[in-house]
Amino acid sequence: MGITTSIAQKQNTAPFAPAGHATESTTQQHTDEMRELAGSHILCEALMREGVDLLFGYPGGTIMPFYDALTSYPSLRHILVRHEQAAAHAADGYARATGKVGVCVATSGPGATNLVTGLATAFMDSTPIVAITGQVARNLIGRDAFQETDIIGVTQPITKHNFLVRNVEDLADTVREAFKLALSGRPGPVLIDIPKDVQFSKTFYRPMDAVKSLEYFRTTRAPELSSASIEQAAKLIATAQRPLIMSGHGIILANAYAELCAFAEKTNIPVITTLLGLSAFPETHPLAIGMPGMHGPAHVNRAIGQADLIVGVGLRFDDRVTGKVSEFAPKADIIHIDIDPSEMHKVKVATVPIVADAREALAALTEAVKPADHATWMNEIRTWEARDAERSTQVKRNQEYPDPISILDAIRAETGGEAIVVTDVGQHQMWTARCYSWTRPNSHITSGGLGTMGFALPAAMGVKMGMPDDSVWAVAGDGGIQMNIQELATLRQQGIAVKVAIMNNGYLGMVRQWQQFFHSGNYSETPITGPDYVKLADAYGLTGMRITRREDVRAAIHTAMHTEGTVIIDFVIEPESNVYPMVPPGASITTMIEETGEESKSHD
Amino acid sequence: MTNQTASPARAGQENAPQGGGRSHILVVLADDRHGALDRIVGLLRRRRSNMQTLTIGRSEVPNVIRITVMMDDSEVGVEQLVEQLRKIVDVRRVINLSAEQAVSRELALIKVNSGVSQQPEIIELGHLFGAHPVDMDQETVTFEVTGSIDKVEKLVEQLQPYGVREVARTGCLAMTRGSGNI
Repeated sequence: MGITTSIAQKQNTAPFAPAGHATESTTQQHTDEMRELAGSHILCEALMREGVDLLFGYPGGTIMPFYDALTSYPSLRHILVRHEQAAAHAADGYARATGKVGVCVATSGPGATNLVTGLATAFMDSTPIVAITGQVARNLIGRDAFQETDIIGVTQPITKHNFLVRNVEDLADTVREAFKLALSGRPGPVLIDIPKDVQFSKTFYRPMDAVKSLEYFRTTRAPELSSASIEQAAKLIATAQRPLIMSGHGIILANAYAELCAFAEKTNIPVITTLLGLSAFPETHPLAIGMPGMHGPAHVNRAIGQADLIVGVGLRFDDRVTGKVSEFAPKADIIHIDIDPSEMHKVKVATVPIVADAREALAALTEAVKPADHATWMNEIRTWEARDAERSTQVKRNQEYPDPISILDAIRAETGGEAIVVTDVGQHQMWTARCYSWTRPNSHITSGGLGTMGFALPAAMGVKMGMPDDSVWAVAGDGGIQMNIQELATLRQQGIAVKVAIMNNGYLGMVRQWQQFFHSGNYSETPITGPDYVKLADAYGLTGMRITRREDVRAAIHTAMHTEGTVIIDFVIEPESNVYPMVPPGASITTMIEETGEESKSHD
Repeated sequence: MTNQTASPARAGQENAPQGGGRSHILVVLADDRHGALDRIVGLLRRRRSNMQTLTIGRSEVPNVIRITVMMDDSEVGVEQLVEQLRKIVDVRRVINLSAEQAVSRELALIKVNSGVSQQPEIIELGHLFGAHPVDMDQETVTFEVTGSIDKVEKLVEQLQPYGVREVARTGCLAMTRGSGNI
């Protein structure tokens, strides 16, 4: 490292070392060595101190000093994406799969604004990512300089916090704060904007120096679990006749799988998992009943309508879950466990609000409750479920096309249920959520809150980087896959093996479905064409297949699994099939549009 | 962060009927840092707070600003806004002061038309409201008045017949009554 100068340790800063910090060994450097470094090198050092070994990014004018320094830090692996949006989604995917902070990097102006959709996605789904952006030099800020954007202003509503580093002396502390913030409490994205001249400026850096600022202390303070609330909750649970557990993303974020299972099994309460809570509880478990809300199976929504108690853990009662709020769970008391106090009473007034980490709260609650039996209630739910299943067998379906169920079954069978499945947004997302049987914890990754098309491919790339030994499948529609299709080049260049299943119906299918139901079949701008995916894959140096018959589905998935590198399978599915059942927007979730008769049409 | 969140009568983001709503005074203490004010005001905007006045100034602690927001809860429950504000990293404390617990004041400058002959009469009127003339010339008198929001409004109303040229108001400032701090 040419520009680093070792100097004797002479500065008498008194670092405040929080418990456990001093023992962290995150760099190869001597932790007490004080050196004069440029901001760009301090940034690399500080990232290493946080345990970062992977970045997704794209260079450009104002972030060049950092990219220059990067080559001196071989332990920081950088994945060059083809569009900054993909960097943010990849960091997001990485974070969701590993539970660690995902990192993305972009230059100022367009580079930074291209991150915005990814940051908003991570913000809505509470995933910890740190975005680093270059900014024009300090003396140019506010002068409409080349590639200047007020990214602090732009990202303020979609980040947990953001920092403009105004002095190089603040840089190391800022990085530490950003990582702490991203992971603490309810996780979320944090952005660090670093002017180019700050990256060039030099200052003394010592890895062991810890953060002294207030943010650090405030955000590391965990909420205290109130034993009174737990007691109150236990009382409600003891008297409930028709209780339900609704588990959300919080279970996954808190790693509370075992605690959820123990709680459910002790109380014998049926378990619902929200879209982002899928794979938090094994769907093969006798207590698992499914997903609620707009595309949840009817029996789940009916159960919510009949329930007298809802134990909501780590979920935020999103409008796609509740439907018309005033008619959501009208008979139920609500115990709401969430780490974010602002979620309490936000949508539904909680009878017992519990602000706590899901794992801690569930463990305490399991202690406090008595074993119970809810067989009658469960039987009632299962009867509804059976009746719905019976009805759906009477629907005449097209047997020729590959259908979502056969595709998902094949993926599951070929991977032994161990694949991590990343979905995009639309019909295929709902089919995957509903038809795949989620048994492996945290194996379902999707953009739920923001509903970001174009998420699947780059996110799957991040997932695969985080979990290199696992099979990663990206399932996308023919609309969404085209939104970040350029990442095929990244996958190829980096040798990342993601298997891609495109459910291709030649429509922006979910919008088309809404048009069919709510806009009198006026298919305005929803028919969509795409490239020849086999040729496209070939053009990128990857393997592509097109499957048009259901009987070939399994073999195609099998081939994909046994082909090196990224494989794209274009499954030509029924053009106008719908996601059933469906709650019309704004209606009560017990009002569902069910599948009837024959609907199949063929491609023209 | 507390579990003792008072259970409100209605959910924070429910679609409540427009208009009406109870008036609340929020006091926000925040670090005086780059972007802090932006974050607070931005949050109040995007979380649909129905703000009436917003006052910003220094507090008794160096580098901590005190923001007083007067708002009503016709659109969004005030408890929801308080919890959202508490999540802003720069925010140290948020206190919801009810009118009974608080002394609240506003300062206003009012420039009113006044010929020389009308001056005694107008100044007399001002005195009834405890307003002091701080500037006057051949055509106008400028009053400084402090008091409750109602009082300021009353004075402006009384001065209207003479022709009010300009009104500058600080918005509501508030502090707890008695020796207790917030």
